[in-house]
Amino acid sequence: MSDRSDILPRRQSMGGIADQLTGIPLHFPAERRWVIAMAFASALLLLLMISVTELFTRGVGIWGINIPVNWAFAIHNYVWWLGIGHAGTLISALLLLTGSEWRNSLNRFAETMTLFAVVCAGIYPILHLGRPWYVYWMFPYPATMGVWPQFRSPLEWDIWAVLTYLTVSLVFWYTGLIPDLAAARDRATGRGWQIFFGITSLGWRGSAIHWLRWSQAYRVTAALAVPLVVSVHSEVSLLFAAGQIPGWHSTIFPPYFVLGAAFSGFAVVAIIAVALRSWFGLRNLVTDEHLDVLGKVLLATGLMTGYGYVFEVFDALYSGEPHDMRTLLDRVAGVYAWIYWGAVLLNFVPLQALWWRGVRRSGWALLLISISVAIGMWLERDMILVTSLYRDFLVSSWGKFTPTFWDWSTYLGTIGLFLVPFLIAVRLIPMISIFETKELLHEEKQEARHG
Amino acid sequence: MTHNGHQQRSQLIPSEDGRRQWSGIEELSDDPAFQAFVDAEYPAAQTFSPTARREFLKLMGASFALAGLAGCEKSPFVAALPYVDQPGEATIGIPRRYATAVVLDGYAQPVIATTYSGRPTKLDGNPDHPVTGGRSDVFMQSAVLGLYDPDRAQTPTHRGEPVSWKDVVAAIGVLREGWSKDGGEGLRLLVGPITSPTLLRQLDALLKQFPKARVHLHAPAQTSPQRSLTKAAYGKPLDLHDVLEQCDVIVSLDDDILGPGLDQVRNARGWAASRHRFADRPGNRLFMAESVPSATGAMAGSRLIADASRMPVLAEALANALGVPGAAAGEITERERGWIRRAADACGKAHGKSLIVAGPVGEQAAAIWAARINEALGNAGQTLKFTDPITGPAGAGTLAELVSDINAGTVHSLVVIDCNAAYSTPGELKAAEALQRVRTSLHLGSQRDETGALCEWQLPLAHALESWSDARAVDGTATIIQPLIAPFYDVRTTHQILAMLLGEIDPTSDAAVRETWQATFGDAFSTRWSQALHDGFVQGAAAFVEASPISATVTAPPEDGAVDIVFRLDPTVWDGQFANVGWLQELPKPLTTVTWSNVVAIAPDLAKRISVANGDHVEVRIGDRSVTGPAWIMPGQAGNTVALYLGYGRTRAGRVGDGLGYDAYRVRPADRPWLAKGSLRKVDGTETLAVTQLHHRMEGFDFVREVNPGEVVKQPASEHASFYPQWASSENAWGMVIDLDACIGCNACVAACTAENNVPIVGAEQVKVGREMHWLRIARYYDGSIEEPRSHFQPVPCMHCEDAPCEMGCPVHATTHSPEGLNQMVYNRCIGTRTCSSYCPYKVRRFNFFDYRTPADSPTQAAHNPDVTVRSRGVMEKCTYCVQRIEAAHIAADKESRPLRGGEVVTACQQACPTKAIVFGDIKDPNSEVARLKRDGRHYVLLEELGTRPRTTYLARWRDDGSGSGQG
Repeated sequence: MSDRSDILPRRQSMGGIADQLTGIPLHFPAERRWVIAMAFASALLLLLMISVTELFTRGVGIWGINIPVNWAFAIHNYVWWLGIGHAGTLISALLLLTGSEWRNSLNRFAETMTLFAVVCAGIYPILHLGRPWYVYWMFPYPATMGVWPQFRSPLEWDIWAVLTYLTVSLVFWYTGLIPDLAAARDRATGRGWQIFFGITSLGWRGSAIHWLRWSQAYRVTAALAVPLVVSVHSEVSLLFAAGQIPGWHSTIFPPYFVLGAAFSGFAVVAIIAVALRSWFGLRNLVTDEHLDVLGKVLLATGLMTGYGYVFEVFDALYSGEPHDMRTLLDRVAGVYAWIYWGAVLLNFVPLQALWWRGVRRSGWALLLISISVAIGMWLERDMILVTSLYRDFLVSSWGKFTPTFWDWSTYLGTIGLFLVPFLIAVRLIPMISIFETKELLHEEKQEARHG
Repeated sequence: MTHNGHQQRSQLIPSEDGRRQWSGIEELSDDPAFQAFVDAEYPAAQTFSPTARREFLKLMGASFALAGLAGCEKSPFVAALPYVDQPGEATIGIPRRYATAVVLDGYAQPVIATTYSGRPTKLDGNPDHPVTGGRSDVFMQSAVLGLYDPDRAQTPTHRGEPVSWKDVVAAIGVLREGWSKDGGEGLRLLVGPITSPTLLRQLDALLKQFPKARVHLHAPAQTSPQRSLTKAAYGKPLDLHDVLEQCDVIVSLDDDILGPGLDQVRNARGWAASRHRFADRPGNRLFMAESVPSATGAMAGSRLIADASRMPVLAEALANALGVPGAAAGEITERERGWIRRAADACGKAHGKSLIVAGPVGEQAAAIWAARINEALGNAGQTLKFTDPITGPAGAGTLAELVSDINAGTVHSLVVIDCNAAYSTPGELKAAEALQRVRTSLHLGSQRDETGALCEWQLPLAHALESWSDARAVDGTATIIQPLIAPFYDVRTTHQILAMLLGEIDPTSDAAVRETWQATFGDAFSTRWSQALHDGFVQGAAAFVEASPISATVTAPPEDGAVDIVFRLDPTVWDGQFANVGWLQELPKPLTTVTWSNVVAIAPDLAKRISVANGDHVEVRIGDRSVTGPAWIMPGQAGNTVALYLGYGRTRAGRVGDGLGYDAYRVRPADRPWLAKGSLRKVDGTETLAVTQLHHRMEGFDFVREVNPGEVVKQPASEHASFYPQWASSENAWGMVIDLDACIGCNACVAACTAENNVPIVGAEQVKVGREMHWLRIARYYDGSIEEPRSHFQPVPCMHCEDAPCEMGCPVHATTHSPEGLNQMVYNRCIGTRTCSSYCPYKVRRFNFFDYRTPADSPTQAAHNPDVTVRSRGVMEKCTYCVQRIEAAHIAADKESRPLRGGEVVTACQQACPTKAIVFGDIKDPNSEVARLKRDGRHYVLLEELGTRPRTTYLARWRDDGSGSGQG
């Protein structure tokens, strides 16, 4: 890593970075744009609240689900959001452990994104229940009847996988945030901000022993988080793979889901990176080099996901199972073929532009490609779920699925649920890790000095 | 029953002079007498605090007041009170069963009715009855819902205004005076087909009192048209009785003998008995020439597709091939010739053991040829028996005559007895307009339907389950109908109203019936009467008579117009009388799986020609009348035949049945009720039909298997091919075998399951999005080309897998495995993740997407089986193998400290099935029927490759001819 070119422009001062980044919450530079974005996000959140009220009042029948397609938007949105929630931890934890320092400009908001994406994912398992008020039956509490959850069920594993992931992500995010909260505390002038950051920084004084303990804790949490990234989406894939439904019952599912999750997650990280840097004028911190690296990662995970597609097809053909072949045929040529081909098109075709360096370094190009991937992966989740279920084994039970207004409103509503806290976080906390960027800048300057 | 409680109350409420009115509900609750009553009824109320007690009394008062003010003395639904004096013989919660009958088109459908605390909840066939042997059809299974129909007429009305029976009696008195003066000149009675000896006797008596009165018969369904055909063929009106159990060969010319109708149970039983005489080969062969696909066609080993108007020609050609004198070979196609040759060959070898039947679309010509062939083959008297007509009244006029008399002004009084002439009459007769012209009209009916609305008086009839009456089954065996419950509403039986017309004052409900049977039973009346009520029928079918075909020349029906328009009775709402029965509306119609509507069935070729798809509106024109309905492309239908289904398009059926489908009666010709010539064209508009099965091809899979005689489908697989240990089994291990060679797709099992298991009705909109709740579906598959497919039926209930994917998927233990091998659903543990359904390879689970329960204030609540939980919103449900029946049997056995007997547990579907296609029992008992069938060579497992090891398995269909195509 010593002979790499610098990712941050060296001609900036340490204090300047701290001022610039703590200045975002303390002296918010883009009040007007933030208010507009917040209004939009709040409208979506309101839509979610209306949808959920309707849902709890009348039942899941307001959606388009039926027999055989009794899982649809709720489950695949859940998978999609959870997939997005992967990139944050992956970027932070894995790259922290492997010492890839370019992550330092991206990890904070990527982790923030993870947190709220997991929250969005987390509400779906409740919303999708026929009787959501009994969700606590999924937990092993001391029930008077002595009934426990059924531990053979992938849904039960899911509860644990997601809760563990959420907890560890939260701890990891917060641990990484502490030094910056202290930096913000030291620069805060308003009494309220001083108290807020004073409490949240947990008495951080920046002593060497603090740094040592912190560094140990941060790395240990990262080491915990990395396997979780793999396990949580592997587990989610078992939700499908444990059933016998053709198109689900495949051993390729765990890696296929994890890679797809990383792919969609990096795409959303790229969207946020490009948006934030243009919004708050952070070109000096989120540089074209960063976009270049993001583009490469996106391309790599995209190709790995593509490999999953290829092998899914190969599996079906190689198995010679007539039901699997039938499902494959339904996917590529059935009434929902547009979903399959939409996923293929949006996921992999624009992606190929990332082979060119110029495209990778262009904010706009990366933004558009990433949006394409986010939508493509959404279609992929829908494809895996709906195009398997709508025609399973017995022809007499074949059906169809048409989403209703409430399907869409619940989905769009969760985008509001994601954006509102994210925007609040942007408003309240330093969105780029101050001390880590400074550390990186310091290292770059040292290297330059020593040649 | 609430009866006693109400009597108690009605003695309490009026004080001194019996005419006191209370001004408010509070006053009522302060009434000491009322309080005393409440204290007696609700001892708990005494312990309430004074405030709570006042509040309680107020609420009680409110509900009683509502019950009282509703205008009838006995409303059972608002306040269900416990017995004041509990009858000694009844235990709350223990069902009681009574033999009686419900009535379809005048004929008795003998039933054993189950009642809980005095409320009938379930009807099943009477196992001792010679016609049904305990088996049912969809109409019988659903008849109980008619009892609780919220749209029943509840009180007599005069021009729509509620009146009392005193007013009715007074009015009848005035009418009788008028009739007496002129001997009944201008008095007409319009009746449906009647088998009731009591009603026929009363009609006779009425005609004796008023000799100039006349009776007219209105029979939109099957009975009287058949009469006219037999009259043409045999020279006198007869009832034909097919003895299918003795047939080796059956040839049907567009006669759906196994399809819905009065004879379905008898025919299906007979056909199945002869079909499954041998274990190693099919016991009979069925040849079917048909224009519109039917159950009979689906079961036929050799099926010929031919337009309806070809039937007389085919009948004559068959007669010619069998050497019947006078028959010409006619002009027939190569294909038709091949079919006729094979059918004739088979018949030729089965003298006296074959049967040729001709449907009403073949009209007189086909009926005459069929009669002559049966005579020539020696079938008459063997496989085909004759009786004098079982329905009456003899010598009745027709509806057309009545209408012309009314229009001529010679009718001033009309009594319509339980028939809906304003609706179910060929449109060209303009019967509704004629009815309005009659000065005084009385409509006796259970509903104020289209006819009731036009008549001056609407007199509400009691349901068969609340009536004393009698009726004969299709073979003439009489049943005395006894009430299981006191009438809910202010209604009377037909016999009571007839007695009023005869001048009796306040006739009791059973007097007329007793009088009839007094004559028959004579001195042994009391014992024989009790015996008849106990058995559910009076021994003795109608006597067979001799008949031989007359030798008149056969005139072929006229040929004109472009397309054959065939009229069919609807398989679920029949002639329209069941339009307001939700169970029947939601029952998927055999072959189409359409619910909640009728369709215009057309052939794929014809559809292509006029470029219509399913649901597109088409207009059928016959003469100058036309009707528009949604098209349905029916694979295997004859190219030039269009089928219209009667029974829909009703306007006064009630909240369930109004405004569904189109009214085919509007275009039905009066002179040719079954086949007409007309034209078809596409018109604007399309609709989404509520179908329960979207795809019908087997797509190359072997869900329904077929086997040649002597062949074995598959060697039994190794018993336990799994890494996991087997479940420990308790003493009994339940299993089911469904014989696909016997299933005629009649839906009786689905209807029985719906009634037994409180399966909710969800309505057309929910069916359209795929949320029907039936626990058992009759999957229907096509094999071969769309023009000439072979049709298969496959009932699919829960498979009760040993290694059930659903059980593994549920996160909360809501679906579990019982020691007896049942895959159980624990409703109150279910949180509705729907994982079980996602994982189920058979997709037999059903989910309560909304709250589908019957509203609490609906009388239909009372039809629920109290032994089965009513499921709430958000809960999964599915076939339980009627676990409540299994448990009831266990309890009965435990009380007697004995093991369960073989065949002691019978599921509802099994009990209903007319062909015994569904066999349920203990697979651990090697001598049980089900265990024996599981060893049969035709036995196979649906989706065996998945390793779910289902308890429900199938027997393959026989291939009659080895080719398996079933065509031509």
